[in-house]
Amino acid sequence: MAYVALIPLLPAIGFVVMAPLSRATRNRLQWLGLAGVGGSLVLSFAAFAAVWPGGHEGEAAYHASWPIAQVGGVDLSVGLLLDPVAAVMLLVVTVVGACVQVYSVGYMHRDERVGWYFAVLTLFTAAMLALVLADNFLMLYMAWEVMGLCSYLLIGFWHEQEVPRKASQKAFLTTRVGDVGFAIGLAVIYLTVGSFDFDAVLGSAASWAPGVATAVALLLLVGAIGKSAQAPLHVWLPDAMAAPTPASALIHAATMVAAGVYLIARSLPIFEASGVALTVTMAVGAASALLGGLLAAVQHDIKKVLAYSTISQLGYMFLAIGAGGAIAGMFHLVTHAFFKSLLFLGAGVIIHAAHTQDMREMGGLARHLPVTSVTFGAGALALAGIFPFSGFWSKDEILYAVWHNGHYFTFLVALAAAFVTAFYVARLWFRVFTGPVQTDHLAEGHAEMLAPMGVLAAITAVVGFTALGFSEFLGHAGYWPDPAMAIVSTLVAISGLAVGWWVYGRRHLVLNTRALKDRAGHAYTVLAQKYYFDVTYDHVIIRPYIRATESLSRFDRTVIDGVVNSAAVLWKTAAEVAWTFDGRVIDGLVNGTARAARASGGALRRIQAGRVQTYLRYVLGALVLLMLWIVVKGA
Amino acid sequence: MLPLLTIIVFLPLLGAAITALLPKERADLPRLVSLVVSLVDLALVAWLVLRFDVAGGLQFVERANWIPEAGIQYFLGIDGISLPLLFLSALLLPISILVSWEVSERPGFYFTMILLLAVGMNGVFVALDFVLFYVFWEIVLVPMYFLIAIWGGSRREYAAIKFFLYTLFGSVFVLVGILALYLHPGGGTFDMTVLAASTGLPTSFQWWVFAAFFLGFAVKVPVFPFHTWLPDAHVEAPTAGSVLLAGILLKMGTYGFVRVSLPMLPDAAASWAGFVALLGVVSIVYGAAVAFAQTDLKKLVAYSSVSHMGFVMLGIAAGTPEGLNGAVALMFAHGVITGMLFLLVGMVHERTHTRTIAEVSGLSKQVPVAGGMLAFASFASLGLPGLAGFVGEFLSLVGAWRSELVAPGYAIVAAAGILLAAAYMLWMVQRVVLGTPSSAVEGITDLTRLEIGILIPLVVITVVMGVYWSSILRYVDPAVTALLASMGAV
Repeated sequence: MAYVALIPLLPAIGFVVMAPLSRATRNRLQWLGLAGVGGSLVLSFAAFAAVWPGGHEGEAAYHASWPIAQVGGVDLSVGLLLDPVAAVMLLVVTVVGACVQVYSVGYMHRDERVGWYFAVLTLFTAAMLALVLADNFLMLYMAWEVMGLCSYLLIGFWHEQEVPRKASQKAFLTTRVGDVGFAIGLAVIYLTVGSFDFDAVLGSAASWAPGVATAVALLLLVGAIGKSAQAPLHVWLPDAMAAPTPASALIHAATMVAAGVYLIARSLPIFEASGVALTVTMAVGAASALLGGLLAAVQHDIKKVLAYSTISQLGYMFLAIGAGGAIAGMFHLVTHAFFKSLLFLGAGVIIHAAHTQDMREMGGLARHLPVTSVTFGAGALALAGIFPFSGFWSKDEILYAVWHNGHYFTFLVALAAAFVTAFYVARLWFRVFTGPVQTDHLAEGHAEMLAPMGVLAAITAVVGFTALGFSEFLGHAGYWPDPAMAIVSTLVAISGLAVGWWVYGRRHLVLNTRALKDRAGHAYTVLAQKYYFDVTYDHVIIRPYIRATESLSRFDRTVIDGVVNSAAVLWKTAAEVAWTFDGRVIDGLVNGTARAARASGGALRRIQAGRVQTYLRYVLGALVLLMLWIVVKGA
Repeated sequence: MLPLLTIIVFLPLLGAAITALLPKERADLPRLVSLVVSLVDLALVAWLVLRFDVAGGLQFVERANWIPEAGIQYFLGIDGISLPLLFLSALLLPISILVSWEVSERPGFYFTMILLLAVGMNGVFVALDFVLFYVFWEIVLVPMYFLIAIWGGSRREYAAIKFFLYTLFGSVFVLVGILALYLHPGGGTFDMTVLAASTGLPTSFQWWVFAAFFLGFAVKVPVFPFHTWLPDAHVEAPTAGSVLLAGILLKMGTYGFVRVSLPMLPDAAASWAGFVALLGVVSIVYGAAVAFAQTDLKKLVAYSSVSHMGFVMLGIAAGTPEGLNGAVALMFAHGVITGMLFLLVGMVHERTHTRTIAEVSGLSKQVPVAGGMLAFASFASLGLPGLAGFVGEFLSLVGAWRSELVAPGYAIVAAAGILLAAAYMLWMVQRVVLGTPSSAVEGITDLTRLEIGILIPLVVITVVMGVYWSSILRYVDPAVTALLASMGAV
């Protein structure tokens, strides 16, 4: 089983080989990335087969660790733990990762820095695989941060333009706000347990002092909120859409943003020991699910629709775990990874074909992009939660878990979010694929772009049926959807789609929603302003901080350094006075005033010329006095 | 056995003597001589590292009477705390010489000063007799003064005098502390190992001596509010001066805390810990905030040093194994990473003739290697896990959290410091590295092979240490454990 170590290592090696090459060589060797990820894909299937079935029984299929340091008698290590959760995540990451790599060959082939793009994409995959296999919190945190770097590099890939440049910085800093919480959480864990290992930490969580579990869980949650773009730290994800679209598919839809969910699922014993933290997780998830969904419904940029949709769907996962449906949340993570990456890849084809991201300038693409519309359609139906597509199954499980555990208000919020989701799916579909064509020379994507979409669409169509096996694989009793729940959720989804069609699907209303917006009034303004999050942060945090740094900088120059310079001047003056006294009075008694005046003048010149020796003499005098004082005082 | 440490310390002195005596008309000889000397020195230190017994405590000890009447010895030795710093010093020396290869103004004197500086830097980390320690401590001031005053920028005289007087002011207090320990019946010796092992000093006396050492070391580190000499000195110093200043000279201050204040004055260290941690945390936040507002690249890096050294101070104040391991690891990592930053800023300055952030942009477009390296160093500096800077910052944080001497609030504020560090570094990267080339950048050439060769070792060390922490901690941890045991803290 030692090959498990190769799963993150192969892509890591790919990056290490590619990074130092010259641009031209790197561009030629871009296939190294795909080779690395492809190798991981094969090995991941092998690893999965080794765990399946019944992997949850007994020991983990593979567990090995290597110390990277010993600090005060405690081993800090990197270790790999292959258990059912990890095995599932390996498949998700490598399948989507490989699909995105293949797709990118077609999507990015004209870019002059394509080699660097593939290198970073590959490093990202390595980090995500390391995160999934990590057997301790420290390694998980390190991989987490490396993913953040890759995200930064890919968002800002086209950094000559200002928008991506700013978006990349915003993403890194916003997620780092969460990471501060994560880091403090690690410190608390270490103080409490004396180790970062999952075994030791999670095994003992139930016996921690009350309050400690809550503190740790909430701190980890802060990290997860940043990474998974949940309210109120969600603001970076819509801007992150400045990244090349396939990178958005992998990082900002399928995998990295789901790492927050994964973290919470991994640390579930801590959250359960706390209880309060679960409720907070549920509230954060519910708020993000609904607020994100509403924002998705007013976006015009197709990628931003999908970005807000991601916030909303990740909220669904948070909500599920918080409500006690961790398995359902993880299943939604899996299904969402496939159908959302599919939607992003489809959006990439659409953007290439329509030469715009603005849905108001699109229309009638269905006839010209047959493959894209079929595959995209599968993803869209999965997102809306229509049987038999994957989203239906996982969303149903979540709704059932929330209802079953008695969180009725959350259940209503989740239903509302499901309705909004179906609505914006219909809005997107009818605006983009139906209606009058607005672009000349519409062309379907390259084969290397369409093939991965086909794979993902096929998975989206069938993966839902594994719901039962998925639960059992992770060690829980599985169940088929509750018929009543299935009917309710399907009705909600269909009514959402229907309303979407009513507004956007009937030809004569397309492109003219002014009347609706006017009627919505303030509510629409609030949505258009994204609930004022960005504006508030800008006015309350960013600008005041910049102003504060500028005043501190002035303070540093004038006050702190001012004291130093004044002390120097004072010292010099004192020295002059002393010298004058020396010359005028003492010396004068002996030699007469005239000669003394000349001497002091020369001395003054010497001091003012900055003669170091002059100062030294006085420093020495002060030194002797001080020393005597301390010795006397101490003795 | 060969007196290895003596050779390592005084070989540069021999080199300095040679470069000083070389005929003036052979302007290319001094750099060649000093490069050879520095490489031999580095090879010796590398050999020493290989021969070092991780569990062996104090090693390569050399001991002889120097001035027996006063009990002053010639006493050298090295343990796991000083070893990484000696290695850093030996590593940055040839790098500083190579980056100064084209110095045209009085090259003989220049390289004499660099080598003289090396004597002091190496010496401080291996000296175990207080008088010897103080001699090395003071030696570094003179060559650094001349490096800034002669080869510096437009305000070099002001900066040089300020550096000299300010740090001399601090040194005076160090001397006060040394003499106080010597004159006290509970101390009575200059032998640093004896002082570290003795327990006879009354707490009130320790408190005052700690205060004296604190002033001396805090200026050198520098800790807020004693830091204002640093930006001036850095901005005016030539690149090699900045590299050695940030890389080694600042570490002398924090090394002093670890080598002198903690083991010799353990009771005072405990009662001072809260205050030291407070200044450390203030330095972290204050340095990061002021760095954010800088318009000059070198000043930005200088203030970032104040912030990073604050983490070192926090780790030292914590007095826990994690904190001290982190402090030493960060001293080393900061030397390597900030060295890279100053080298790159210098290389960019040579080409664009400006260090004003607003005038430099689009480096990665125009000069991808330089831009990429600068981005790499910036991410290392902001503490990205997997690179060297993270190891020390993280352990300092955990150590502070774990410490009974330091309030948990400090660790929380320090953790916010990692966000502020990302803010000023990314803001710099966004303006300088990314975007389209500005007029100052347009047409400049990328790094030469020599320049890349200078940077590569630092890049490799940054990655190796960041991935495999033991590469440094295997030396540090046993020494830290021994130190804490001697303090009665473990």
